[in-house]
Amino acid sequence: MRRKQFLILWCLAHFFLISVVCWRDTLSVIGRGYTFLPGFVGTYSRSAESTLSVLLGERLSSSNPLRQLVSVYTYTSGIDAGYGFFAPNVPENYKLVFEIHYPDGRVEYELPRVSSTAAGLRLSTLIDNIGGTPYDELREVMVKMMAYSVWQEHSEATLIRAVLGLVLLPTPNEFQRGIRESYQFTYAYDFRFPGASAGTKQP
Amino acid sequence: MLGKRLEQFLFPVRSDRWIAILRFGLGLQVIVYALSLRRDWNYLFAADNQGIISRELTEAILSVKSAFIPRLGWLVTLGGKLGLDEDAMLALGWAALLGTGLFLLAGFLCRPSAIAAWLLHLAARGSGGFVTYGVDSFMTIGLFYLALAPLPDRYSLDALLFKWRLKADYRIGFHQRVLQLHLCFIYFFGGLAKLLGAGWWDGTSMWRALTRPPFNIIPAHALLSAKYLLPFLGIFICLLEFGYPLFIWLRSTSRAWLLLVLLMHIGIAVAMHLQLFALIMVILNLAAFGSIFSGYSLARQRT
Repeated sequence: MRRKQFLILWCLAHFFLISVVCWRDTLSVIGRGYTFLPGFVGTYSRSAESTLSVLLGERLSSSNPLRQLVSVYTYTSGIDAGYGFFAPNVPENYKLVFEIHYPDGRVEYELPRVSSTAAGLRLSTLIDNIGGTPYDELREVMVKMMAYSVWQEHSEATLIRAVLGLVLLPTPNEFQRGIRESYQFTYAYDFRFPGASAGTKQP
Repeated sequence: MLGKRLEQFLFPVRSDRWIAILRFGLGLQVIVYALSLRRDWNYLFAADNQGIISRELTEAILSVKSAFIPRLGWLVTLGGKLGLDEDAMLALGWAALLGTGLFLLAGFLCRPSAIAAWLLHLAARGSGGFVTYGVDSFMTIGLFYLALAPLPDRYSLDALLFKWRLKADYRIGFHQRVLQLHLCFIYFFGGLAKLLGAGWWDGTSMWRALTRPPFNIIPAHALLSAKYLLPFLGIFICLLEFGYPLFIWLRSTSRAWLLLVLLMHIGIAVAMHLQLFALIMVILNLAAFGSIFSGYSLARQRT
């Protein structure tokens, strides 16, 4: 009987956390104005999202044991994020192209690549994460790491320019009119290996 | 009274067949996951500029969340103390993950295999950070429940070789109920979030999902010929997910709903090349509600 009570308590706590995480993520997309709901709803959503973050211990210091406990439990049980895949709208995706400059003035173009389709899907996720990160320094570090792996295969190159662009997909009607996928420039970084430790950003 | 009803709901009498489905399915999932990343494993998880994104960066970001979340760096550190280099330890981690998948498939040493698979996959997910997507979360969910579930089931090698048997354990029904409820949350919130986006009502999101690289398997010209169907398909998917927590429990709709959800995931696998994602969702659905197909009604199970 006591074991059953323990399981019931665990079950209630588990689904409490799932509910809080799911509502927090749902309110987050509403608060950021990604839905068709009117603007004033967003204000309330942000406030409610903030309250739910408190319930997850996210307002506590990062070393707080309760916050650590909740973080580890939600992560290791797979309930640390909501389930709004491709929602409320299908997100933008990014493309990363490397311009490889050689001493004789030659320029080659290369896309990041992996060996398998499954890894390709993860590569695509990585590029979207790079494009979507709000932190400039992090984005630059990540692009530099990818550029370095390209440079390792083209070590005679003098410069690797990484160009990150947003993929603009046509709507069905635009596609019917002959408009095709295009790219909107977002960031470019120049890297020299070995040598300069940081890239030069071209906004 | 309420407590009694809650107890009745949470502890139905069940057979361990659903555990066999979950164990076998997750074994298969882990094997496919490991094999699909075989050639790129070290490239995805290496540190010190040897990989696509340094594992050290990902693990440093993971440490902000918590230093206690498993990561491949722990394995590499352990290998370092034993005189093994990073490449060897990453390869060993991959082989161990594949091995746990094979053991789960066969049902050999079920409990240790389930826990090891859960921890190894968590480590890969933690160290992969930027290259992980939905399938990794669902694999964590499945492996977490399997590691907690009563094991071994009667179809496992453990049961055949060592005669290890589960008694009529109240936890068998309880853990299935937890998985069922979790799936209801997953689909409800997935459907709700989609319903809040205008693109799912007018077909734009369906078009974008199917033409967006790297999911653009169906030629856009072919898709264009069905453009008037896209809004209906988008709304249908939203309602299928949003209605799951209700219609999966009703005797008159449960079979149809489960079948449609399974078909949706198979469709995603075919049309968007998301086979791993589809496989884990099919496994979780069959383990949770597969008994619907054997004529074992949920209403009867509840009592």
